[in-house]
Amino acid sequence: MKRLINILGAVLTAALLSAGVAAAASLGLGTKTLGAGSAAVTGCTASALTATRNVSNSGNVTQVNVLSVPQACAGETLAVTLENSSHTSLGSASTTVGACTGGCTVSVTGFGTVSATNLTAYALSLTG
Amino acid sequence: MRRFHLTPLRLAAGFLLGSLTFAGVGYAASLGLSSTKLHVWSQSLTKGICNQTSVTADDTYVQQASPNSTTGGTATTLRIRPAAGAQDYSFIRFDLSGCSLPTTAGADSAVLSVYVTTAGNDTVSVYPVYTNWSSSTLTWNGLGGLTIGSTATGSFSSASTGTQTVTVTADVDAAIKAGALWGWEFRVTTGNANVALGSSENGNAARRPSMTLSYEK
Repeated sequence: MKRLINILGAVLTAALLSAGVAAAASLGLGTKTLGAGSAAVTGCTASALTATRNVSNSGNVTQVNVLSVPQACAGETLAVTLENSSHTSLGSASTTVGACTGGCTVSVTGFGTVSATNLTAYALSLTG
Repeated sequence: MRRFHLTPLRLAAGFLLGSLTFAGVGYAASLGLSSTKLHVWSQSLTKGICNQTSVTADDTYVQQASPNSTTGGTATTLRIRPAAGAQDYSFIRFDLSGCSLPTTAGADSAVLSVYVTTAGNDTVSVYPVYTNWSSSTLTWNGLGGLTIGSTATGSFSSASTGTQTVTVTADVDAAIKAGALWGWEFRVTTGNANVALGSSENGNAARRPSMTLSYEK
C-alpha cells in the first residue's frame, strides 16, 4: 500500500508539473533542490496548421512544408517530428519561423533518411 | 498513512510515468525557461493506391520530318528516333483526377511502365513536362510551347523488347501539389535507332503505358 501511495504521489506530481504550465525543469537523479514557478502559456495561433512533405525520386522525405503559418508566429521555433504507424519517431527537425506578410509556408529540412511510405503522421509544435 | 516524501528518485520516476501518459504522441516541443508561447498539434495521413492504366493515359509522338502532324495521337505505337533532321519524340501522361488527391497530398511511390515494341540499341531518356498538352493537337512545331525539364528523371535501355520501368516519384509528387500531371517526354539524343513503345491505343493491353501510384493525403 505504501509503495502504491508513493507511486501515485509521484505520478500526481508529474502530472501537475506537466499540465498546461511550462515548468521547463530538467531533473537528474542527483538533483537535491527544485525551484518552480508558473507562467501562462499562449500560442501564436490556435489552429492546427496543414503540413505537406516533398520527396526525392527514391521516395525519401526531403522537407516538410507547414502552410499558412500566421505572421504572429515569426521568430518562434517550428519543430516537426515524423512518425510511423506506431507513433514512433522517424526523424525530427526544426527551424525558426521567419517574418512574412500574411500566412507563409515554412519549410523544415534535415530529417535524415525517412521513407515517405513509412510516414503516417506529423507531430508539430510552435514554441516562442 | 505515512506522509509522502518527494525524493529525487520518486520525482524522476514521476516524470517518467507522467511522460508515458502522453504515450503515442511525440510532440516535438522543447520549452525553455523563458518560453511563454506553445502550440502543439498533430496530423495523420491516409495512405492509398491509385494505379493508372491506358484508360487515364494520353500519349502521342511528334515528328521533325512532319512538323505539323498530329497522327501520333491515334497511333498504336509511340516512335522515338534520334536521327538528325528526322527526330521523333514521344509523350505520355495520366489524368489523376480520378484519384481525388488534394494539392496537400503527395506520392509515396510512382513507377511508370512502358513496353518496348521495337528495340534499338539506344538509351531512352525520360524528361518531365510541366505544361499542358493534348495528343490531339501536339506537333513538332508546337514543342516550343511546352516547358520540359532540363534534367532527365530516368532512363531505360531499348535494346530488347519488353516492359521497362522508370521511377517517377518526385515528378508525380510535385505534380500532385501543382494540381496536374503533364507527364513525360521520351527522347533519344544519340545513336540512330528507331525505337517504338506501345501506346494507349495498342491492341495488346499488356503493351500499353501504365503507372503504379502509392499516395498519402
